[in-house]
Amino acid sequence: MDEFTITEKKSGDLIILNLNGFLDAHTSSVLEKKFEELLSKNLYKVVVNFSGLSYISSAGLGVFMAYIETLRSNSGDIKLSNMSDKIYNIFDMLGFPILFNITKDESEAIVKFNETV
Amino acid sequence: MSGKDKILIKSSTGNLHLVRDFVEKKAAEMNIAQSVINQIIISVDEACTNVIKHTHKYNDHNEIEIEIEFRNNQFIVTLKYEGEAFDPTKKETPDMKEYFKKFKIGGLGIPIMKKSMDKIEFKHTKPNNNSLKLIKVI
Repeated sequence: MDEFTITEKKSGDLIILNLNGFLDAHTSSVLEKKFEELLSKNLYKVVVNFSGLSYISSAGLGVFMAYIETLRSNSGDIKLSNMSDKIYNIFDMLGFPILFNITKDESEAIVKFNETV
Repeated sequence: MSGKDKILIKSSTGNLHLVRDFVEKKAAEMNIAQSVINQIIISVDEACTNVIKHTHKYNDHNEIEIEIEFRNNQFIVTLKYEGEAFDPTKKETPDMKEYFKKFKIGGLGIPIMKKSMDKIEFKHTKPNNNSLKLIKVI
């Protein structure tokens, strides 16, 4: 079964993470480890592309809450893009768009990073 | 779907996908709109996750029974499990503005359940039997 995978690419000083599969209490540790790895390499500017993600629960939301403060305090950010309505509804239900920059497309998220540099 | 249907899982996060699949299948049989099915699925996932994490403390010798029934235009999911009583309906909903301001983590499962379902009922029967009902009016 295709549970949860992350693919990663670099674009300048940005890291783009593509999430695939199901992000729940079982798989969220995979994403946590990825953020830990980025922090250990002093990489603080992250775009997360949700186009391949089928499902997210609060455990997944918790990972973004766990790292957003550290990344922002290091002049970085986590910008979220390409969410299906299903995924966006979960973020929106609890007001996450207040704290997180959520864009329609990955390219828009990248532009927003460049604007704030 | 007629009557009741149920599955029994070992209390492990690795089984959450089985629960989601079960709920999806049963809700789809009732021709419930996909957006409503999604609300039910995440609520049951959050409820099971809380039991696995907090009540059973990841000990998969424990089990959770998930029972589904449809009556009086209500889609009712009941979790039955052993362990200490914890009534999620009594848990205060966090102020999300404050939550984001302080970069808090966790505690969002119950707010998701409350926002997604129409009614939640918890019952503890001595010595250690719990029943958590998640109800969606269709």
